[in-house]
Amino acid sequence: MNGIVDARTVSKWYGEVLGLNAFAASFGPGITGLVGPNGAGKSTLFKLLIGQLRIDQGELRLLGENPWNNARLKRRIGYCPESNELYGWLTGEEFVESLLRLDGIRASAARTAARGALETVGLTDAKDRRLRTFSRGMRQRAKLAQALAHEPEVLILDEPLSGADPLARINILETIAKFARDGGHAIVSTHVLYEVERLTQNVVLIHNGKAIASGDIHAIRGLIDAHPHAVRLMTSTPRDVAQALAGLDHVVSIEFPAAEAVLIRTRQPDVFYRELPGIVVDHRLDVHGLESPDDSLDAVFRYLVG
Amino acid sequence: MKLAEELGKASVMFAMTLRYLLSTRRGIATAALAAVPLLLAGSLAAARVETFDILLFQILMVPLFLQVVLIFVTLVSATALIREEIEDNTLPYLLTRPVSKPAIALYKYTGYLVAVLVLLVPPLVLAYVVTQGYAGDPLGAELDVLAAFLGATALGGAAYGAFFTLLSVLTRRPLVVGLLFGFLWESVVGSIPGDVPRLSIIHYLRSILKDMIDVGPLAGYPTDVSAAAAAAILIAFTIAALLLAMVVFQQSEFKQKA
Repeated sequence: MNGIVDARTVSKWYGEVLGLNAFAASFGPGITGLVGPNGAGKSTLFKLLIGQLRIDQGELRLLGENPWNNARLKRRIGYCPESNELYGWLTGEEFVESLLRLDGIRASAARTAARGALETVGLTDAKDRRLRTFSRGMRQRAKLAQALAHEPEVLILDEPLSGADPLARINILETIAKFARDGGHAIVSTHVLYEVERLTQNVVLIHNGKAIASGDIHAIRGLIDAHPHAVRLMTSTPRDVAQALAGLDHVVSIEFPAAEAVLIRTRQPDVFYRELPGIVVDHRLDVHGLESPDDSLDAVFRYLVG
Repeated sequence: MKLAEELGKASVMFAMTLRYLLSTRRGIATAALAAVPLLLAGSLAAARVETFDILLFQILMVPLFLQVVLIFVTLVSATALIREEIEDNTLPYLLTRPVSKPAIALYKYTGYLVAVLVLLVPPLVLAYVVTQGYAGDPLGAELDVLAAFLGATALGGAAYGAFFTLLSVLTRRPLVVGLLFGFLWESVVGSIPGDVPRLSIIHYLRSILKDMIDVGPLAGYPTDVSAAAAAAILIAFTIAALLLAMVVFQQSEFKQKA
């Protein structure tokens, strides 16, 4: 066991519900994507890694140490939870600075580091605003700022792109990539394979609490490309968005599931994600949110696990 | 160096707790409730109630302040310390810092204690001032009454706070359990003749008032516990409940929402 994360037949029950089922995997250095549909066990694994939960069976090591009630280990990790809840009564700067001071960093150094982290995630202009006024994308970036401000060795990011607008996604992806280029390790969970594809070639697939595959992303790309990938765009002008996207070769279908939403199905998600920011800017579209329902990925997992 | 670093962490957690309990909507609501003694004294003075003096003040304050305001303010504030972090999904931000869970509970409790004193003491002192001013008595004439109520407030705030903090790590519904304890257990057990009231916090608070105040409504309260003994028992209870809360918190997992 000498990876960044080593899990040996780790099981975790929530009463009679199995959260992790003999999960076994090793996460190496650099960035690793933990990919699986909602409810697969990604958040459970992360909660075990940060010591919020205790394993029921097996052995789990983060940086070679048992994470349960290991306060000393916390200095070496940065965690970005899936939930967008923040201390709404604090400003962005107060939030990051307060948490830095809990890392044992002195007040003046904490303020400098907090401002640096907020600048990294593009929130300098909003640093004096209360967190309760932040949009979803801004919350994602604030969470990322507090996770990396103390320069941890490992970033643990639970669905860091969920609900973020296209520009926030670019910023978050660039921030994670830079962290890894500077020598850090990151574990990024997502139910959208294409989100981690831009960051890393190393993925661990998780389904029903088990690690069902791990390794190079290209090996499973072909399987997923066979299934149209769904993307839901939140917009106040769904017709305009649909018109702008209808001409793309890889778009299979366009639906309007709600008054301010458009559901796109594409056979080339990577191309779609690459082209979308340009289309939004060129057509001056109001796209304030982007989600990927995991039904397309779920189909792939059903295929993989038979 | 390590001590300085730990003190720095404690001060941050303390300040965050204090600010949350005093400046959010919760703080405004509890401040309004804590102001009831002052509002009552002011109303009696404004209505020119002839019998309004330090005795009537005590007759009103023992049930109103001791059995309602003190319990409610401490309950609402202490159960927010940890349970709301769990319910609001903000606990992971604290659990991923190099601060042990018992230390988190302790630092938060310290912030709670100062917050409830800030909420409860000024209205109580001002209510005393209004009472004495209306009765035309010197401010220092009934200091035993003021000192007894302030002592009961501090010790009651500490004991109830520690117990409600324990409830907040033991149960998912600390507010409901706390309400049952505060308004059912305390009033029923505290009123049963014999030694049973010794199982309630309020018995010791009443004992403090009885022992410290020369003339008051609790003069005939059946207790042989001196103010010093009552204070010692309440302090011991506070420490025990707080230590238990820290141990339970240390061993707790947070499966639900956090």
